[in-house]
Amino acid sequence: MTSHTGRLYALAVTLVVFFLTWTVVATRPWGASARPDPRLAALAIREQQLRRESIVVRRLVQHRWAVYRVQLKQRHAQISAAHRAQLAAASAPSVRVVSLPPLTVTRTS
Amino acid sequence: MERRTFRAMGTEIDLLVDASGATAALSAAEDEFHRLEAILSRFRQDSELSLLNRAGRLDPGPDLMRVTELALAAREDTGGRFDPTVHDAVVAAGYDRTFESIAAHGPEPEARACGGEVRIDRGVIELDDGVRLDFGGIGKGYAADRAAEVLAIAGPCLVNAGGDIAVRDGAWPIAVQTATGSLTVELTSGALATSGRDRRRWQRGGRELHHLIDPATGTSAGGDLVRATVVASDAVVAEVWAKALFLAGEEAGAAEADLLRLPSVFVSTGGTTRLAGGLR
Repeated sequence: MTSHTGRLYALAVTLVVFFLTWTVVATRPWGASARPDPRLAALAIREQQLRRESIVVRRLVQHRWAVYRVQLKQRHAQISAAHRAQLAAASAPSVRVVSLPPLTVTRTS
Repeated sequence: MERRTFRAMGTEIDLLVDASGATAALSAAEDEFHRLEAILSRFRQDSELSLLNRAGRLDPGPDLMRVTELALAAREDTGGRFDPTVHDAVVAAGYDRTFESIAAHGPEPEARACGGEVRIDRGVIELDDGVRLDFGGIGKGYAADRAAEVLAIAGPCLVNAGGDIAVRDGAWPIAVQTATGSLTVELTSGALATSGRDRRRWQRGGRELHHLIDPATGTSAGGDLVRATVVASDAVVAEVWAKALFLAGEEAGAAEADLLRLPSVFVSTGGTTRLAGGLR
């Protein structure tokens, strides 16, 4: 009887020890205390750096695009003005003061 | 010589063509005025212009698009002295119905700001909130040019749209009112227009107002001129610069006419007449 009870206790203790060991192994305590991978840290730093640089580049491109659009608008206006001046010169009206009786009259429209 | 007179765009239209059997061409030119009036009039609720002014955005036909483009180019060329966004200022001044229906007297109006944004993008005209367009003057000039093109098929011609005159070929003696009477100029090509404050005027708050709005003040223009007449390559340009030089005043207007080589006649409030821009 005593021997049987002793074996049961031994089995129970063995099971408890087994499951405790399992739990300890499953939590991987060595993982938390281990040093982070320097390659991952470097990658994270590089990622942050690239993000900052992309913001700077985006702002630069937006600024240059805005300047380009203003310059393009000004250039279009210059070309239009030159074109209109050419047209006006080409089709300059011919007018002179005469002493003929008028056919019609211009007045405030 | 054949002649036809009729009313359109709130004024009297006079068509002359130096040809015989030009009835069809005269009718086509008259139809062109009525067609453009139906598109460009701010007094017609169903016109394209009224639709645009109500909606603030429109995919317009080619004529409204062209007039809008011309008006915006004119605003730039004249430094804002010509501005199609004067609609609300004209209405506030009392010109809110056809001129014949305007009450002779009324309370003092408030000035309205002009110069709002008008955008043209991929065939669509967009107006900023509160911006409405008035093509009263430039529309007549545009119609005179278009009608002259139609009429020119029959022969040398002259189109007079209430003072905005376009000619094609021939030599046309035209009377220009001066301070003391009139002088006659002979126009063989191009166009001529007169802007002034001696017509289309009324009283508000004991003050005389007229239809020429100064976009800088948002109310009827002051200055030392009664009227300015300008000769140019077409009636739109003549109309635009007649208004711009009128707003500039006699001295600045004459100097600008000389610089731009725009033959001009200025009549001042002091009773003098001045020729400029090479006109002699």
